[in-house]
Amino acid sequence: MDEKKDYKKIGFRCGIEIHQQLDTHKLFCKCPSIVHDNNPDITFTRKLRPVAGETGEIDAAAMHEVLKGKYYAYEACSTSSCLVEMDEEPPHPINEEAVRIVLEAAQHMNAKIVDEIQVMRKTVIDGSNVSGFQRTALVAYNGHIETSKGIVRIQSICVEEDAAKKIETTKEYTKYRLDRLGIPLIEIATDPDIKDPEHAKEVAEKLGMILRSTKVKRGIGSIRQDVNISIRGGARTEIKGFQDLKSIQKVIEKEVDRQIELIRKGKKINQEVRKAKPDFTTSFLRPMPGAARMYPETDVLPVKASFDGIEMSELIEDKIKRYVGKNKISPDLAKALAKSDKADLFDNAMKKFKNLKSPFVAETLVSAPREIRRKYNIDISSMADKDYIKILDYIDKGMIPKDAMLEVMIDFTKGKFDISKYKGISEEDLEKEVKDAIINNKGASTGALMGMIMAKFRGKVDGKRVMELLNKFS
Amino acid sequence: MAKEGDYIRIITEDEEFKGILMPRPELLEKGIKVIKLDTGYNLGIDEKRIKKIEVIEKYTPKVHKKRKISFNKKLPTVSIISLGGTISSKIDYRTGGVYADYTAEDFVEMCPELEKVANIRARKALSLMSEDINPNDWKDIAKIIFDELKTCDGIVVTQGTDTLHFTTAAMSFFLKDLGKPVIFTASQRSIDRGSSDAFMNLICAVSAAAKFDFAGVASCLHGTLNDDYCILNRGVKVRKMHTSRRDAFRPVNEMPLAKVFPDGKIEVLNKDYKKRSGNDCILDNKFEEKTALITIYPGMDPEIIDFYIRKGYKGIVLAATALGHVPVLVKKYSLEQYLKKAYDKGVAVVIASQTLYGRTHPYVYSNLRKLSIGLRCIYAEDMLPETAYIKLGWVLGNTNDIAEVRRMMLENIAGEINMRHQPSSFLY
Repeated sequence: MDEKKDYKKIGFRCGIEIHQQLDTHKLFCKCPSIVHDNNPDITFTRKLRPVAGETGEIDAAAMHEVLKGKYYAYEACSTSSCLVEMDEEPPHPINEEAVRIVLEAAQHMNAKIVDEIQVMRKTVIDGSNVSGFQRTALVAYNGHIETSKGIVRIQSICVEEDAAKKIETTKEYTKYRLDRLGIPLIEIATDPDIKDPEHAKEVAEKLGMILRSTKVKRGIGSIRQDVNISIRGGARTEIKGFQDLKSIQKVIEKEVDRQIELIRKGKKINQEVRKAKPDFTTSFLRPMPGAARMYPETDVLPVKASFDGIEMSELIEDKIKRYVGKNKISPDLAKALAKSDKADLFDNAMKKFKNLKSPFVAETLVSAPREIRRKYNIDISSMADKDYIKILDYIDKGMIPKDAMLEVMIDFTKGKFDISKYKGISEEDLEKEVKDAIINNKGASTGALMGMIMAKFRGKVDGKRVMELLNKFS
Repeated sequence: MAKEGDYIRIITEDEEFKGILMPRPELLEKGIKVIKLDTGYNLGIDEKRIKKIEVIEKYTPKVHKKRKISFNKKLPTVSIISLGGTISSKIDYRTGGVYADYTAEDFVEMCPELEKVANIRARKALSLMSEDINPNDWKDIAKIIFDELKTCDGIVVTQGTDTLHFTTAAMSFFLKDLGKPVIFTASQRSIDRGSSDAFMNLICAVSAAAKFDFAGVASCLHGTLNDDYCILNRGVKVRKMHTSRRDAFRPVNEMPLAKVFPDGKIEVLNKDYKKRSGNDCILDNKFEEKTALITIYPGMDPEIIDFYIRKGYKGIVLAATALGHVPVLVKKYSLEQYLKKAYDKGVAVVIASQTLYGRTHPYVYSNLRKLSIGLRCIYAEDMLPETAYIKLGWVLGNTNDIAEVRRMMLENIAGEINMRHQPSSFLY
């Protein structure tokens, strides 16, 4: 199996589904979208009962489970949940910012939007939605993205509620935490246009890049990818739980191998949901769910949808090109900057400060914090944008030497910043200091003298100028 | 012509959609066709874009076979009377439409536990939205319960939640000398969702109606936000205290009568109730419709009282402030001259408190004395304003003699007056 497979020949079909949390308050209430591990101050228990289906009949097996007394336990924090998550208050109107973010992403994916967004209730019976259903709405369809291996069509783009997080399962109950419940998600499903495992990774990356260009959450757990795969003679499996994008390719390769092997042995392949494991193999998770029952969410009014007035943010890939081309920033730094949450700050700073060079500003925003963590083990990620602007302003006006940057940033984070500490000494005083140093340290190398002076006036003098003076007087 | 539920094809200038034609709720913006796609999602399409609609397949609603329920001689018989409301409505998942049509078989299918508790009989009596229920409905409801009582061991009544406490109060006076329990229940969450409170409420209500040794009218809904137990509250001492929580029905000015657990266990919390008996209930469903309930508030136009007097009202309940005050000092806002007119015309004025909790008091302040002694207003002890309104209408239905009205209003007839308040009943 080492030789490169011809994925076309084996009838490889693959599509990706992405769920990404949006960076706005919850979809149907005003709770902030924060996932945390604070102690819960709200706990309650519920039973979920099977309800009559389309035919009016109730599933007997499901009812049997209920009658055995199994229940769901929920815990929540009042900082991140309210009566809406507890299904004790009807949903508020849909979060308009969330809809705008999804519309923007849809436009980046060249999709058509529905004329009117209709919120649906999708029946969920595992307790992960307190209500017993997930609210979801189709916003756009028939989109596409361009990739190195051709166009990949986007089947649907939806906005929906994230589910509660399962934290414990016992014989008597299943326990969930509610902070995640209701966080707005964009759900993107591609058509099975993916050509091979490497292509799957590219498509996932491209979609991720588009999403991160809009107002979405960052960090662990904020994005989830599911992959649907089948090969000729095999069966469709859905794989969940990828650790990261890099693993997608390998996991798909292994899943294809697994299916080939099973076909070779003449075994039946089940349609099922499988979980990706750290060693890139997969294991059975659950049977493929049947088509979920969906019916209208009558508590939420439909919303007219239009691209009018939707502001399009610049895609990260276009930003990188602009930073490299116009701002002359190295490709690596440009990429890091464009992907970071400092890109807007950078653009603002470049407009504001005429004396600063763009690579220096980019380094200040992106590289300096990393360097501070590495060298001094100090986390300055909490430093506010306005503090960065203040620091850059001092440098722009020549009030702080560039060399003092790291120290200034650390002082800012600690709340100890004092401009007088960095006030440079006058040209005459500096000349005198240099001359004195040469006289008092006869025989010392220029390097040693430089070290001495810089140690004394660290952060107050420009190293380049000291070197000029040393060369002039020694 | 495509009808709701039909599988259709919608053709626009440049697109084609296939799906089920969905109903469009009234009052929503016109000009949008909604279809349910094969994926399950609904989609709104601007009618201006639509070139053509073709019906692919006509919809015929499925009729499902109902299970038979057997009669168990050892079990009591409970009759479930449904008056409408969320608890006895079903959803058509195909169109999302809601319709009310509940038989005993439906209730048992929804809650199989019921079969072990009682022989269930079901009667769809009315189909009312809670907010539309009026005094004529109360009279009808009382008659229906009265008739049904003769042939069962207990009754469960389902209706919408909004005005449920008005109905329980009315039944408490209309059905005199009850020898059996009449238990009202409802739900705050629609029953299309597995998490609905309807299931436990119904099971507990049927349990109470089947075997609780209690005679009278009570409500039975969730006691907490958990699906752990329901509380039984006396029909005249209960109020809906929250717009949407499942534990919205709370006792006011007394403890709940009991906790009812879904496994059938009943834990009595307040022993002050009548036990079952062989009493033959007396139907006394007269109600004077010219009875008003007015909330007192700073800045109100006192002439509202005159409006009712001129319309020939026989009785007015004032939901007054705290101990039973109304504005009397400033001429523009004073109710005094109008209450005097009411007194002169023989209109009964009853004072209850808008604080809901606590007792009114006719004498603590001089302004109270002005009303109670000077104008002969009837201070209704700790009666809820809604209960006072129902009781006054019922009393006036029976007598026009103002002295008799006063006597009856102050007589504890159905547990509406509690002369001994314990601290534990506040905000229970």
